Amino acid sequence: MISSVGIILTWFGFLNLIVLFITSNKNLFQTLVRVNLLIHFVLFCTLEIALFLDDFSLYYIANHSAASTPPLYKFASLWGSLDGSILLWNLVLSTYFYLYIKFYRASVELYDIKIFASILLFFSGFTIFSSSPFSGCVQLDSIGCQDFTLLPFQDLVTSESGRGPNPLLQNHPLMAIHPPILYLGYIGLVLPFVIATSELFNKHKDENWIKIAERATYFPWVFLTAGISLGAAWSYEVLGWGGYWAWDPVENVSFIPWLLATAFLHSSKTQIKEQTLINWNYVLACLMFLSVIFGTFITRSGVLISVHAFSNGNIGTYLLIGLLIFSFLFIFIGIRNVEYFKTSNKVENLLGRSGFFVANNIVLSASALIVLIGTIYPIFYESFFSRQLTIGRSFYDILIGPLLLILVYLMVFSTKISRVNLNLKTWLIGYQNELNISLLISIILTLYFRASYKFVLTIFGSVLLIIIIGKNIVKRYKKTKLQGSYWTGQISHLGIGIFTIGLILNVTQSFSNELIISTGDIVNFGDKEFVILPPYEEIREEKNVINLPIEFKDQEKNASLNIFKNSSQQAISSPAVFRSIESDTYVTIKVIDDDKFKLIFRENYGIFILWLGLGISSASFLTRIRK
Amino acid sequence: MKKYLSITLFIILIFLPLVIYEDNNSRYEKLSKSLLCPVCQGETLYDSPSEYADDMRIVLKEQIDNGISDKQIMEYWTARFGERINTNPQNSNYILILFPLIIALVFGLLFYRKVLND
Repeated sequence: MISSVGIILTWFGFLNLIVLFITSNKNLFQTLVRVNLLIHFVLFCTLEIALFLDDFSLYYIANHSAASTPPLYKFASLWGSLDGSILLWNLVLSTYFYLYIKFYRASVELYDIKIFASILLFFSGFTIFSSSPFSGCVQLDSIGCQDFTLLPFQDLVTSESGRGPNPLLQNHPLMAIHPPILYLGYIGLVLPFVIATSELFNKHKDENWIKIAERATYFPWVFLTAGISLGAAWSYEVLGWGGYWAWDPVENVSFIPWLLATAFLHSSKTQIKEQTLINWNYVLACLMFLSVIFGTFITRSGVLISVHAFSNGNIGTYLLIGLLIFSFLFIFIGIRNVEYFKTSNKVENLLGRSGFFVANNIVLSASALIVLIGTIYPIFYESFFSRQLTIGRSFYDILIGPLLLILVYLMVFSTKISRVNLNLKTWLIGYQNELNISLLISIILTLYFRASYKFVLTIFGSVLLIIIIGKNIVKRYKKTKLQGSYWTGQISHLGIGIFTIGLILNVTQSFSNELIISTGDIVNFGDKEFVILPPYEEIREEKNVINLPIEFKDQEKNASLNIFKNSSQQAISSPAVFRSIESDTYVTIKVIDDDKFKLIFRENYGIFILWLGLGISSASFLTRIRK
Repeated sequence: MKKYLSITLFIILIFLPLVIYEDNNSRYEKLSKSLLCPVCQGETLYDSPSEYADDMRIVLKEQIDNGISDKQIMEYWTARFGERINTNPQNSNYILILFPLIIALVFGLLFYRKVLND
């Protein structure tokens, strides 16, 4: 029943989009865009209802949910696997379509509607022709469902109980928040693509397209920043490995659009003010979205192994075709505009405002390139040499680390730049007090942590950045004639400055130890003392949990081992995390051997500071609302 | 006056790490971070909570205690699990580092000629 409703509604949505694509009646498209949003919203709700009703006649639900799954994770199961996540993807895309015509519409022509509609047609076409979360089950497996049909009104079979979601995806409430927020950022990058291509396709283009594109990139950027940060937080809390970023391919392909979007937010400013970099801005505006499709392609087509990868059948080819179509559009429109690009002014001086933006763009796009190479190099290596190769953390440490450091110092100098040249001498004299304070702080921290040059350089730049921006905010915020966007930038930079302090502390200072203990033991780790209390077992509907309570000062927290039923996967270790501003003590159970436990104690420095910085950066959007 | 303070502080900061920096990373930490856990998805031996990795860590610790050199240890593991177990391929495969640098350089030059005033 629900299966048929969903499939027929999907067809309606598709037809609606086709009408939208064909029609040239300007009065009609407003309505059609609304209907499109409504349909995708109803589709979303329908699958949620089916999930909560445990309708195991749906292939997707039989394989990715179970009767015993707790409500929150049933809700989140909608995006727990490929077919369902496309439903969320399309809902977000439709929402942006609606917001676009309401707030960001640049063109008076219909090109933008056509381009947007074709993007949506492409993604909703996948649920019609390839695999739909509403497809009914026609052949049972031992648990779950083996075969499905994409047609409505078929005789469906219902499995007894579902397979349940991947254990990793039902272990922390962030699972319900991280993917939707990330999608809001990731997919939102469609807006600058539509704006840039449709406006440049137009013969009578509005020079303001860049302003609108910049405005439309900002909120997706905020969501992307928040989404990636939440993902990092989730990984830290759930995966039990004590880290937050693994340079995993899926993380990388969310980071590449972030780097490009950050570059675009900067380079667009120079076009707005000085009519420079027009060609480069067009390239960036399009590359953001193309990198989104490319990222989806390499992580969903099964060409890569990753914690996040889920794929089935033909989505790879499908996405590759989409990537080619949209890249062709990008190149075609670019070639048509060669004359327009020639009107772009050249950047006059390298030490002025534009020069800084250019430097920033070179660093950010080089970073994007490095991350891209690190992600796809193993694929090429394997297909050429038929040997596998792993690119690990140190590759990125060597290449991205210095670039991040350059960015920190660029931000330091960009706290006070104008169109005229930066004069290092007046700059140094103007910020003498700030310089002295940050030199002093850096010396103290270096002495305290017995630190290396990597640490010294990062800390000095970040502290200086924070002090200068902090002082500017306190002194000038109310009096200033500067625009809101200046403060948006400065507050994001403040956040990044705080983030880099957390990052360098974490990278250089953290340490760990592996200990074998029995209950009642007192463990000394670093200069802290922990008491291990007797373990107890908790039997829940979907899993068994072995909890090991650990006492530190007056806190008691559980390190636990989750053993999921209905799953062949190994037990998952949940950490006990004792937080403080300076460092977290992170305890995970590695192995249980009769009454002995093998525990890993990690002292993770800077974690709180890191989250604080990312939070401040994301919260910079508040300055935009004020306007 | 302030100027001399800055210069003094700056000089202290520049030479400080030379005097006091201590490398806290043990050989075990370095090696376990550069070896991939072959049964986990993209986690190193150092990070992985799996039992398989645990067994491998025990072997690795024995090797270190027996005074086997880093190079020999890496050879031991790559011989058994293939090249992909080494997460630092750039140490022997310089093209990996050069490749992005060359592309970035070409790109930078192009950028310079196209956008900047010469």
